Amino acid sequence: MFQVYLPIAELSVNILVMLGLGAAVGFLSGMFGVGGGFLLTPLLMFSGIPPAIAVATGANQIVGTSVSGTLAQWRRGNVDVHMGAVLIVGGVAGALAGVLLLKALQQIGQSGLIISLTYVVFLGVIGTLMLWESLRVIRRTRAGKTVPARSGQHNWIHGLPFKMRFPQSRLYISAIPPLVIGAVVGLLASFLGVGGGFIIVPAMIYLLRMPTNIVIGTAIFQIIFVTAVVTLLHATLNHTLDLLLALILVIGGVIGGQFGVRAGHRFRGEQLRAMLAVVVLAVALRLLFDLVVEPVELYSIIPLTGV
Amino acid sequence: MIRTASFAALLLALFCTAANAAEPDTQEQVQSDVSTREIAIESNFTGIEILIFGSIDFSDEQTPAEASYGVITVVRGPTEPVAVTRKHRIGGIWVNGPGKSFATAPGFYAVLSSRPFRSIASDDTLRQLGIGLANVDFGRYTRGHHADDAYRAALVRLRTEEGLFQENDGGVSFIGRSLFRANVTLPVNVPIGHYTADVYLFRDGKLVSKNVSGLYVNKVGFERVIYSLAFQHPFLYGLLAVALAVLAGLTGWYAFRRD
Repeated sequence: MFQVYLPIAELSVNILVMLGLGAAVGFLSGMFGVGGGFLLTPLLMFSGIPPAIAVATGANQIVGTSVSGTLAQWRRGNVDVHMGAVLIVGGVAGALAGVLLLKALQQIGQSGLIISLTYVVFLGVIGTLMLWESLRVIRRTRAGKTVPARSGQHNWIHGLPFKMRFPQSRLYISAIPPLVIGAVVGLLASFLGVGGGFIIVPAMIYLLRMPTNIVIGTAIFQIIFVTAVVTLLHATLNHTLDLLLALILVIGGVIGGQFGVRAGHRFRGEQLRAMLAVVVLAVALRLLFDLVVEPVELYSIIPLTGV
Repeated sequence: MIRTASFAALLLALFCTAANAAEPDTQEQVQSDVSTREIAIESNFTGIEILIFGSIDFSDEQTPAEASYGVITVVRGPTEPVAVTRKHRIGGIWVNGPGKSFATAPGFYAVLSSRPFRSIASDDTLRQLGIGLANVDFGRYTRGHHADDAYRAALVRLRTEEGLFQENDGGVSFIGRSLFRANVTLPVNVPIGHYTADVYLFRDGKLVSKNVSGLYVNKVGFERVIYSLAFQHPFLYGLLAVALAVLAGLTGWYAFRRD
């Protein structure tokens, strides 16, 4: 009754399950200011959607949830458009490089393995760092100590040339670090089928020293553009985008995202980071588990048409 | 002289008998067709059951109990090149090996028979006709070791688990002494394209007649529009997907905004 046939994935899925999946990921997306792709892509694969279609369709779903997420953040004055624009310029260049890299890996038949390994390494390292940092802040706050404000502190980044003013973030820094961060995120976005929030949020907090609330708004703003470019590249080069699946996911995601933004406002920055870190680590462990434990089915069939 | 003439007459008579036996009018013939020639995949598609039916003309069986005839039906889907890989443990993680590729693996293959098909015809005959999962031609391999049958076995096993490969002894049932029917289930993941339904009629281990009918599996309506747009105008399709996502995002924000 609730089964629906997906025209590109060529299989039948339960529409309620996919709506729920979109809503759950959208909720986390709105709450933490991440695209949620790092969750959605593996979850789609666990539901039996082929990895290539999960990556492209996941990217398209993130476009939708990021639009409504950005508007909600925009009204709170949390989007630094200047910073976002610089990140997007780097991001588009990185996305192109990522698609070329993925195509090269597909030709030697190891794209799946490299994607999983990259996920495990990035999610594992970032999750651990975020958890450690945020727990330290939470403990200090509980002990009644004041945590020194980080913005205004100087590090090596402030010595770089091409300085730009980012009034919203109260920063006057070189354009080079945001461009590089944008490019790295774009690369990962197209390669892993994620928005890249799990990279860009810590990078902006710890490297650029931007205020956490502005970081979340700006991250979700640039994710719209990077995932839109990734969607177009996958649709054009790989024909792996399933429009029907994307529509179902985006409807769920938009609804979930709105509740997520409100839920996020009930918590402090370090609490949000601690919760996000736990989710990130859980996904990393699950992916690692699949790589290390002997699979039930050792054999797999790979269609060679179009390769 | 008379002896020679009568011998010639005898030879002639024998030839005529032989010619008569080969005449299609008096030999058993199988006629068949499929219930659905066009299978439409729409958004509510969850698989479909088709019926292959037919009859044996000039059957000389008096009662069905004689069971001198054997009917085997083979449904073949479109073929495509595939690679079968096996995971190996390298440095603690499971990595796909180079595997083996097959040029023309059928996307769908089903054998149905009126009794176990190995009892209907000899192994040689079955092999020649490509009847049975052990006898399907997957085409030339393009990489891997030719003697390693594990990959071929894995392909058959995986496709069988998906319902794409089927062997059904007793899947053809007789109604009376000359009518027969066979139900074939096409699962939800059937490839689109042209299918053939071959019906073989055997008598005492020999193929006496064969009938071929075709069917076509295709996407229709919304599914077809999406599919052809994605493959013929991919950039437009991508733009449409992004536009729809942005629209959904805007709608969601507008519907949930608090003023």
